[in-house]
Amino acid sequence: MTPLLTKALFVRNEKVLQQAVSVFRLAVSNPRPVIGCVLQSSERQYRSMPTHGIGRYKYLLPKEVPKKKKEKLQVKAIKTGTDMEYGVLNVQVSGHDMTIVEHYSQYVHNLCNRLKIKVDESYALPTKCTEVMLLQEQGTKMFADAVLSTHGRIVQLSGLSSTLAPIFLEVLLRNQPEGVQLSIKEHTEADFYARFKARPELEELIAQIN
Amino acid sequence: MAVPVSRALLRPLRGIVTQIPRSGVTRSGCRQLSVGLRVPAIQKPEEAVLESRSPWRLLGAVFVQRPAVISRDRSPIEKDFAELLQQTELERSLLADHELRLLEDAERVSRKQEEDYDSDEDSGQDIVTAQDLEDTWDQKLRQFKPAPRVTGSIQKQLLNSEADKKADRTCLERCLADSLVLLVKEKIGSGDVWLLPQVQWENGETLRETAERALTTLTGNSIKATFLGNAPCGVYKYKFPKDVRTESCVGAKVFFFKALLDSGDLAPNKKGGHVWVSKTELQDYLNPRYLEQVSRFMVDL
Repeated sequence: MTPLLTKALFVRNEKVLQQAVSVFRLAVSNPRPVIGCVLQSSERQYRSMPTHGIGRYKYLLPKEVPKKKKEKLQVKAIKTGTDMEYGVLNVQVSGHDMTIVEHYSQYVHNLCNRLKIKVDESYALPTKCTEVMLLQEQGTKMFADAVLSTHGRIVQLSGLSSTLAPIFLEVLLRNQPEGVQLSIKEHTEADFYARFKARPELEELIAQIN
Repeated sequence: MAVPVSRALLRPLRGIVTQIPRSGVTRSGCRQLSVGLRVPAIQKPEEAVLESRSPWRLLGAVFVQRPAVISRDRSPIEKDFAELLQQTELERSLLADHELRLLEDAERVSRKQEEDYDSDEDSGQDIVTAQDLEDTWDQKLRQFKPAPRVTGSIQKQLLNSEADKKADRTCLERCLADSLVLLVKEKIGSGDVWLLPQVQWENGETLRETAERALTTLTGNSIKATFLGNAPCGVYKYKFPKDVRTESCVGAKVFFFKALLDSGDLAPNKKGGHVWVSKTELQDYLNPRYLEQVSRFMVDL
């Protein structure tokens, strides 16, 4: 290129540079040194457009932590209660009719949300099936009359204040439907581990090691 | 049941928070609410008993409730809506195993009655058909008699005249859909007054223990109740009439404690009289100012 052309380009690029700098000033990490790219930008004309980089926005968004796919249940320290507040409580709702049990546990959850009681978790217990065996009228053989399944739902609360607790309890008892058992207990480690399935292979291997 | 609005619940909460500091005794400031789902340990106040007495006499009262046994009857709108929901659910649902069996049996019967019926082609028929099973279940259902929603004494009451209503209010199996409260007739001053069982506070005990004592003394130790919380849920303050008033006691403050009935009942021939009433019937018995304070913490949903 002739030196005149380069000079003209220099002047023009300076103006563009100023604009570019004002655009790039917002970017915190700009690996390319701005001054050094003058010559390069003279080769690629589009970067000299005043509207270059007009649609950039991703540098403005907050940094996203990459999502972990596997969520291992960590054993969190179970809070013990102080004099003013209860620690972690399990409100267990159980019964034979699943719709009523689920609706009541949803009611408990919504009530806690309204009263600003913190709900840690809300999970279901595995269903337990009980077979009712009746003695046959003529004969000694037992035959299966009915299968009763017991469903249970747990709503885990934390930080229930001792002034709110009697009111909360009374409201729950008032709205308890028939055929549903309500029990409120403190959360223990045994309760936490009861949710996991037994792994016989792992236990065998551990036994072999020891 | 409608979900309670938080406003209605904050009222008794405010009652606890604002009324304790207003009491004349300063020991309430140091009382700690010790809680635990194990047997709650009540901590005695650590400071020594004050020598200067306040002019108010303190009483602890207990608000024993028998919780509702069955749910309330539905209103007409609720009934219609429930029926509509059930109908839509039935129409949308798929057929169950039993219903499929019924259809198959009906089809088999219709095939048998055709002219070109080949019994060899027909797959094995069960000895007990689905219809037979349904008939046996129907019979069992007819034999089952559920417990009446309205108990015997009420049925008798409905047969008798209206005047007998008050006599039967001592029965504990009355309104199964509502919760009932215990009221006791006491002789105060010149006349008889209906109020919640109360007893004077003694030195060295917490107010909750006073309420427990009130329950055992006035009911003859036959009632077992669980107390909800260590803090009182309400207060009623009244001044004595001028002729009874002295310098040392101007009036009395009654602190209410809530409890739920576990078991037991009062003997019906107790002198003075006792009554189990629901919220709507309370106004027949309590005087208006007392009722106002009681209804502030009485949860009725």
